[in-house]
Amino acid sequence: MVFTLYSLIEAALLGVNAVAILNEQRFLSKLTGGGGGQQGYPGATGYVDDMQNAGGVKQQLLTLIRSVRTVMRIPLIAFNIIAIIFLILFG
Amino acid sequence: MHSAAQASNGYEGDITMPHTRSASSQNAFFSPQSAFYSPSSQQTIPTNQVASSMELLSNNPFFNVGIKAVGDSMKDITGKTVNMLPNEMKKSLSSIKDYFAVDQIYVMKKLSLLLFPFRPRNWSVGYSADGPVPPRVDTNAPDYYIPLMSVMTYVLVAGLVLGTQNRFTPEQLGMHASSALVWNIIEIGLLCLTFYILNIQSKLRTLDLIAYCGYKYVGMIAALSSYLATHSLFVYRCSLLYVSISLSYFLIKCLRLKILPDTSGSHTYNANGNARRVYLLLAIVLIQPLFIWYLTRHLIVT
Repeated sequence: MVFTLYSLIEAALLGVNAVAILNEQRFLSKLTGGGGGQQGYPGATGYVDDMQNAGGVKQQLLTLIRSVRTVMRIPLIAFNIIAIIFLILFG
Repeated sequence: MHSAAQASNGYEGDITMPHTRSASSQNAFFSPQSAFYSPSSQQTIPTNQVASSMELLSNNPFFNVGIKAVGDSMKDITGKTVNMLPNEMKKSLSSIKDYFAVDQIYVMKKLSLLLFPFRPRNWSVGYSADGPVPPRVDTNAPDYYIPLMSVMTYVLVAGLVLGTQNRFTPEQLGMHASSALVWNIIEIGLLCLTFYILNIQSKLRTLDLIAYCGYKYVGMIAALSSYLATHSLFVYRCSLLYVSISLSYFLIKCLRLKILPDTSGSHTYNANGNARRVYLLLAIVLIQPLFIWYLTRHLIVT
């Protein structure tokens, strides 16, 4: 219940670290295998608007993870260094 | 101090922008566009003609050097002054101002609607030519005034409840405020993430969602004050139930038109998209009573 803003920042930093650590080869391409197979299916039923379901949940998640990793690689280094310094200084 | 703050706010040029606009609207030399630029960019107008507040500071030579430096850094290679804010941010910042355009009649109607939404009425939101209508004109439009005030009132009422139980310390107020803020951030972040992942494009803007998620604090205040008045657990639970039901009804009616597909529109949505939208609407509506219960239960002691 007692949630300070600082704990939110901490949780966000740890979460983004976790997303950045995911191994591309072993994990993410295995997921794409399942997601890519779904892409071929919708053409058969002929539903109208392609953009509506352009992702599917898996594709959207993967796109999100990939973009977060690409954007946050360098700033994460800076944030982690700041967090380490703060934790060393202030416990 | 106020004039200095005004002048220094003008040179930041980003979030405090409405401040400068209202402060300098009396002044003929400032137009709303020029409020974005640092004053030294207006090369034809000497600095001590621009605003009376700046006359006090322009006598300081260091200040002049600083202003010139800021102005020079804001120019690109052609020498024209670059606008610091991208256009989209300007538009959304000015539309935030729309959300605060409320009057008393709107607040009264909205509050009574939140606590008793069961009368049959028209729930559609009116649209003007350039976007959503400010709440002063249309009762169904979301606003930011009620959620903001009810968050503050919630913090105060929580302090009151703690005081009657002799558990009050002043830092509890700060803790309640920050935890309410954090839970709001988490909730809205998760909802936006869910909108993105499920690939749902709806007419509901993020700013509207923030407003709708803020309406639960009114219910929280009602439940807490009923507990405060009677000190009985039964009354608290009854009011919790009633507030949850009425808030859910209110949110379903409001959000139904925005999230669910428009049957008279030209888009045809596939069945998958429809089901997702219904589930998302249900999720939004069911999260609110959960939050109401969770954020008030630690205050109830018996």
